[in-house]
Amino acid sequence: MDPEQINEFVVGYLKKKGFSSAAKDLEDFHHHNNGSSLSSIDYHNDPELTKLIRSFSQQEDDPTRYRECYSKLRSWAYNSLDLYKHELLRVMYPVFIHCYMDLVGKGHTQEARGFFNSFRKDHEMVHLRDLQKLEGVLAPSHLEEMEFARSLRKSKVNIKICQYSYDLLLQYLHRTESTLMLGIINEHINFQVYSGQPTSSSDDIEAVTIVGSFQDTANHINQKEIQWGLLEDSLEDRLEKTGGLLSDSEKGQGESKDGDADDSKKRPTDIGKQGSSIKKLKKDKAGNATAKVARLETSTVPPTPRVKPELALPVMSTDVEQTILEDLRNRVQLSSVAMPSVSFYTFVNTHNGLNCASISHDGSLVAGGFSDSSIKVWDMAKIGQTGSGALQGENDTNDPTIGPNGRRNYTLLLGHSGPVYSATFSPPGDFVLSSSADTTIRLWSTQLNANLVCYKGHNYPVWDVQFSPFGHYFASCSHDRTARIWSMDRIQPLRIMAGHLSDVDCVQWHPNCNYIATGSSDKTVRLWDVQTGECVRIFIGHRSMVLSLAMSPDGRYMASGDEDGTIMMWDLSTARCITPLMGHNSCVWSLAYSGEGSLLASGSADCTVKLWDVTSSTKSTKAEEKNVNSNRLRSLRTFPTKSTPVHALRFSRRNLLFAAGAISKPAS
Amino acid sequence: MSIVPKETVEVIAQSIGITNLLPEAALMLAPDVEYRVREIMQEAIKCMRHSKRTTLTASDVDGALNLRNVEPIYGFASGAPFRFRKAIGHRDLFYTDDREVDFKEVIEAPLPKAPLDTEIVCHWLAIEGVQPAIPENAPLEVIRAPAENKPHEQKDGPLIDIRLPVKHVLSRELQLYFQKIAELAMSKSNSALFKEALVSLASDSGLHPLVPYFTNFIADEVSRGLNDFQLLFNLMHTVRSILQNPHIHIEPYLHQLMPSVVTCLVSRKLGNRFADNHWELRDFTANLVALICKRYGTVYITLQSRLTKTLINALLDPKKALTQHYGAIQGLAALGHNVVRLLIVPNLEPYLRLLEPELAAEKQKNQAKSYEAWRVYGALLRATGLCIHDRLKIFPLSPSPSPSFLHKGKGKIINTEPQKRKLSVDSSENRSPQKRLITKDGPDGVQSQDHTGVAPMQVDNPVENDNQPQNSAQPSSSEQTSDANESESRNGMVKESGRGRAITMKAILDQIWKDDLDSGRLLVKLHELYGDKILPFIPSTEMSVFL
Repeated sequence: MDPEQINEFVVGYLKKKGFSSAAKDLEDFHHHNNGSSLSSIDYHNDPELTKLIRSFSQQEDDPTRYRECYSKLRSWAYNSLDLYKHELLRVMYPVFIHCYMDLVGKGHTQEARGFFNSFRKDHEMVHLRDLQKLEGVLAPSHLEEMEFARSLRKSKVNIKICQYSYDLLLQYLHRTESTLMLGIINEHINFQVYSGQPTSSSDDIEAVTIVGSFQDTANHINQKEIQWGLLEDSLEDRLEKTGGLLSDSEKGQGESKDGDADDSKKRPTDIGKQGSSIKKLKKDKAGNATAKVARLETSTVPPTPRVKPELALPVMSTDVEQTILEDLRNRVQLSSVAMPSVSFYTFVNTHNGLNCASISHDGSLVAGGFSDSSIKVWDMAKIGQTGSGALQGENDTNDPTIGPNGRRNYTLLLGHSGPVYSATFSPPGDFVLSSSADTTIRLWSTQLNANLVCYKGHNYPVWDVQFSPFGHYFASCSHDRTARIWSMDRIQPLRIMAGHLSDVDCVQWHPNCNYIATGSSDKTVRLWDVQTGECVRIFIGHRSMVLSLAMSPDGRYMASGDEDGTIMMWDLSTARCITPLMGHNSCVWSLAYSGEGSLLASGSADCTVKLWDVTSSTKSTKAEEKNVNSNRLRSLRTFPTKSTPVHALRFSRRNLLFAAGAISKPAS
Repeated sequence: MSIVPKETVEVIAQSIGITNLLPEAALMLAPDVEYRVREIMQEAIKCMRHSKRTTLTASDVDGALNLRNVEPIYGFASGAPFRFRKAIGHRDLFYTDDREVDFKEVIEAPLPKAPLDTEIVCHWLAIEGVQPAIPENAPLEVIRAPAENKPHEQKDGPLIDIRLPVKHVLSRELQLYFQKIAELAMSKSNSALFKEALVSLASDSGLHPLVPYFTNFIADEVSRGLNDFQLLFNLMHTVRSILQNPHIHIEPYLHQLMPSVVTCLVSRKLGNRFADNHWELRDFTANLVALICKRYGTVYITLQSRLTKTLINALLDPKKALTQHYGAIQGLAALGHNVVRLLIVPNLEPYLRLLEPELAAEKQKNQAKSYEAWRVYGALLRATGLCIHDRLKIFPLSPSPSPSFLHKGKGKIINTEPQKRKLSVDSSENRSPQKRLITKDGPDGVQSQDHTGVAPMQVDNPVENDNQPQNSAQPSSSEQTSDANESESRNGMVKESGRGRAITMKAILDQIWKDDLDSGRLLVKLHELYGDKILPFIPSTEMSVFL
């Protein structure tokens, strides 16, 4: 092939690509030089190169080439060596979606649809939801309009791949001259090649999640420092001091108090039985002398750091403080061998209208938000004595609903003009906040049974609202993709947290009140600094919308549950997923940590409450990673309900677990 | 290309008054329509999730439209699912069945009952990690206490003292429940309260821990109270309720329960008064036995064989009382027609001979005994009659001819003409049934054709039924001829073509043919024994063919 021909090809290619000026320049250049000594390579006798160049000038736009090339790449990947196969298959998904979007972008709607349908099966298992979204993209304008597609187009996907797999892939692409695939891969995939053996698990979460543009920013953001420690001078700390005093004096008095005596009798035996693993989890709840001993033994574990509050926190009245201290003193110690009691509130006759349920901190008040805009609050202490009772026995399970005849036995709060999506009690239980589709948040007093304030600020339905652990402040999140911080005395939000790429579905406060976490439909969880309003952590790993969040009482960990039933435990400081907890097979509506953080309870639409062992899950992840079945060990108990999806969970301060849900079919 | 075809867009355009929509425009709009619909659905799913539901309702879609500032679509109450009707004449066209409602009707209709108000019910889902077995909780996993180690203690003592290898704690509620049920069963009344209790026993979950106590209770009371008819009946009702309860696994206790049940079936004496309708009790128990066999026969393979052995022994022992025979017959009959055919029918003739003197009332001094004999006779007649009815049902002789039947008829014709070339037969076998179906389209035609098809082979059972003298000769002769034909044709088949398919076909045909013959003979035999009394059991269509 002589240089003239090559020039022709090159010029033709440039013109086709629209670089007419470049082509012109090139032509001019050739006229000047007249093909004197352009080539340092000997392409005259290199048929490979000729073919390659020729392929460039081929019909680039031919839509069938996408299908051809992709199916070739696919069959090659499926036939590759087992050891490297999963890494190569990982590449297929981004290639697939970008092929599809290329086709759509060029206007070949029909071919795009055909292409999509013939290969979607491959990716459905992992990426079903993304595919469902993309399926609707049928015109170039949709690509522009749809956030998800746009972010995919703009960003590169990071794929970790071992050196050999990478070489294999490149070899294949060069050998077969599939420039189309090469182009897509170069354009949209960012390989992170590492030497050594390929990773064993084909289910590596990081590898399969495509998160749009913020992977890099996430890495950047997650470098920021956060102070996840508990507050200085918290009640627990005070309890430690006073508790220590109490038990000291008890020793002098010879065990006069019944409740404490029980506890202190039980604990030594516990410790004797369970050994050091239990001792560790007791490090920060030290209710009496024995626990202190345990703490000394486990001094290798760094104690929870203390931080200063960045918000001006409300002053707690001494009565409230006393009751809380009393509760903390009487807390039942939970662990993998000491399970909590679960009291279940079943809503009956809801006619499918219950949108949310909430339980006050002591379990005595239960609120339900309904789709007919109403909120109903039940005072369980009035209806029966079941509400207050960690101390009560089995015999009290008789039906407590027989209220005064002819009168309803709940408080009806009317004021919203749209379905109520969330309700939350202030820690002492004197206020209720509710959020609704009418874009407002309302504050109600449970003593006056009246609406006090209506907070307007969001532009779209407010999905969730949560009181801060100390009351006064609250956080809300909405379809308008923001989360906001409010205080009860102002009708304007104090902070607006913007950054999520889709609806913010749930919000949760950090125990030290300096941070809030938000879960979103963009499948990420973010942590925000309340003081600055900045995003300080992004947690990537969920495969569907995040529905529930919970923070561990020591502030170190966070759990998030999603639509598919996966629960993830995150380490706040590193923003890494410690362990995914698999077990539910439907939406996880609610999560709750036990008072001292040793157990995690989860409630789901599959009509079960599950208990998970947090201590083993957080401690031994490194060791257990090899063990595939270890997930099963961490799930301690499953309590099936009688066809009642679990909407809300709450550990009382004494570690009694309350759960609530609406029975899903009318009782026969 | 998009899910929404352009025709739909055109139809919608027409419906809102745009008549001059260009087809290109429709084509361009279609994908956009799809995209918008998907967008709305995505938002609707979000609304659904936040309403903590897993089924999408019309209100969710309304909410999604609201989010997009689109006016919601009115008129879709989220209640019952839509009824789609198929448009006649179109394959894939459906429409919603929208009835016109008369205002007057709506206004005059009585007000519906006010819906019940929302309530909260509280119960313990778990107590220190253990789920209590209360009706509010989902049924527990079966507590598999090793049943064989269970000591048979006197039930008189307090229940909680029974010591099991697995510590078995009965909650107070369960103890009360058990006592109440036991009391009701012992009260020997047939009160409404007892009926309620039975319903509760048959449907409540969480009763499983009581099962060993119930089995023990029933076993004890049956052995003690054989003279008390009402008690026995109550106990059998209790057994049935327990069996019906979907939350109870009764298998481990069946072996304890069965003796008492069988006792109620074949005991010599049930109840001590003449007025006690012990026949009814036996019938009830027979059905109970059949239920157990049907449900657990697959788990306990020996269950049915042991049971039938017991029953047939009771039946064939001439020393046993007639009441016992009756129970045995009812029990066997309830187990199914095959049991009757295999066990009762072969013994029918000698047994009836034995029964004959008892039947003749005038010879009997004892009126009661003759009554019993007639009861037994009736039971026998019913059992065998139902059996033959069932057998005859196998013939698809009903007016709508099934292809399989036609195949059968064809097969017989082949048998008559073994000399015919097999290859051609093979093909004709495939084709001819359809041809016949087409040519003969009335049921009469098929039936008559059927006669002609079968007649040459003398399988014509009705003939036998009509003229008794020929009975003895014909079946055997027909069998012989058929056997000969079979062997001939099979040989020919193997020799000539050796096609596997043809052979299996042949085997099937042989089987059907044999069955045919068997039931024919059975019918004849029964007719011999019973005379015309058997006739009501033969289905009318069969009658018309056979007689």
